[in-house]
Amino acid sequence: MANVLEQLLNALALAGLLFLVSAGLSLVFGILRVVNFAHGVFYMLGAYLGFTTVALSGWFWPALLVVPPVVGAIGALLESSTLRFIYRRPPIYQLLLTFGLALILEESIRVLYGPTAKGVDPPPLLQGAIDLGGVLYPRYRLFLVVLGCTVGVAVWLFLRKTRAGLVIRAVAQNSEMADCLGADVVRVRTLVFGAACALAGLGGVAAAPMTTAYLGMGIGVIVDAFVVVVIGGLGSIGGSMAGEEE
Amino acid sequence: MIPSRLWALAALVALAVVPWVLARHQLSLLTDLLIAGLFAMSLDLIMGYTGMVSFGHAAYFGLGAYASALVLLHFAQPVPVALLAGALLAGAVAVPVGWFSTRATGIYFAMLTLAFAQFLYTVAYKWRDLTGGSDGIAGVPKTALFWGGPSLTSPHAFYFVVATCVVVSLFVCLAVVRSPFGRALQAIRENERRFTSLGRDPRPFKLVVFVIAAAFAGLAGALFAPFRGFASPEVMFWVFSGQGLMMVIMGGIGTLVGPILGAMLFILIQEVLSSYTEHWMIFTGVVFVLIVIFLPGGLVGTARRLGARA
Repeated sequence: MANVLEQLLNALALAGLLFLVSAGLSLVFGILRVVNFAHGVFYMLGAYLGFTTVALSGWFWPALLVVPPVVGAIGALLESSTLRFIYRRPPIYQLLLTFGLALILEESIRVLYGPTAKGVDPPPLLQGAIDLGGVLYPRYRLFLVVLGCTVGVAVWLFLRKTRAGLVIRAVAQNSEMADCLGADVVRVRTLVFGAACALAGLGGVAAAPMTTAYLGMGIGVIVDAFVVVVIGGLGSIGGSMAGEEE
Repeated sequence: MIPSRLWALAALVALAVVPWVLARHQLSLLTDLLIAGLFAMSLDLIMGYTGMVSFGHAAYFGLGAYASALVLLHFAQPVPVALLAGALLAGAVAVPVGWFSTRATGIYFAMLTLAFAQFLYTVAYKWRDLTGGSDGIAGVPKTALFWGGPSLTSPHAFYFVVATCVVVSLFVCLAVVRSPFGRALQAIRENERRFTSLGRDPRPFKLVVFVIAAAFAGLAGALFAPFRGFASPEVMFWVFSGQGLMMVIMGGIGTLVGPILGAMLFILIQEVLSSYTEHWMIFTGVVFVLIVIFLPGGLVGTARRLGARA
């Protein structure tokens, strides 16, 4: 019984991380109709920037707040300087363009940080294990479960209950019609791409204390995230939450 | 404008003459270029002519390499037997994979082929007894061209085997895309729904071309193993599949010749830059991104457009 609980929590902790990545992937596919191969690299970028922030400030929490906007800004910048020009082409061009971007980012990180993995300590509050009715469980993993659920609910509420969410859903459903009705589709695409990258970056920061920041973590996570997204249904956020229980 | 037959003749003459003026390592590089070119060309057959983007094409290259390596190492057969084995194994494995994958289209097809390729990669990685695991199979010999013949150890001899294979494959592929079967493939690419409504089932066509493309990728892999002397799981990794797609786009999708040139450009960039920096991938990525944005037809497509305008 204890073993089952531990396995279940492990699955949920990993699912929390995977959700942060696959939610963004799904969001980008839903709104931009692009399968973003660079998405995993933004996750990796988050982990490495998290390492830098922790190393500079000596604190973990600022990293969780500072890194996602930075990763999101980099993502939005890349979208508006490359992807924006080729939406009218067949989907393969967009997929391959993001593949090219992934190569560039991955190598840049290798240049900046070198080949060795970078470890990040979890904050003191989340170090050690907690006793859950006979099962000793690492606090940090429990935190990942909570983080995944919180962000999931927040994204869902944002998309369902706010005006911006309404516009995003409208663009997802029919971008031409949304354009006619006055939605700034170009800006929505850039912002959604940036937000998705920020989610991946958040996933990366959160993953760093558990997995360390290492080269190749982006490639590892992207294949899993694709599986999650396809099982759950491309383009739907709810689907990506359900799909990660694989 | 120079007619394409003259271009073809010039290219053939160049392939025959150039090896005699090149230094040894340059000849080896040229052989490498041709093998990569054959791989990219086979991918163009499904990607450019049928509109099926496979993200797992490296798996068939790898299967060809392993089959060839095992035949050469354990049975000491002539090289053509190994090439045949490579192409057949890759084609045979592509039958069930294609049967499942062609049920899906677009992005889902790409993801299915990627999943199958990762599965095959894992098999190559884990089946240590047969494939040598992560070490791969080393010491693959260049055997003779026929039973009792002299071995192909001279770089020139092996170069001409590779060049012949590439040229013959190119002509076979050109014949395929110009045949009624090839026309059907292009009809599927243009509008699959209309093709269906005309009373034809697209799936058998897709399956057959998928198997043909896999067999040619297997042939490229079967040339790779004796040329480099090894076969390892790396050649089956999905990054190599992605690089194949990059080669096709850089050279010109749907032209068959273009991907060969694209592969040459890709490997040349890598070769030139890797002597200056180990981070050549950044530059390759930048060149690729620029080509995707500014030259949608790749090298050949752009050249044709300029030629038509002149």
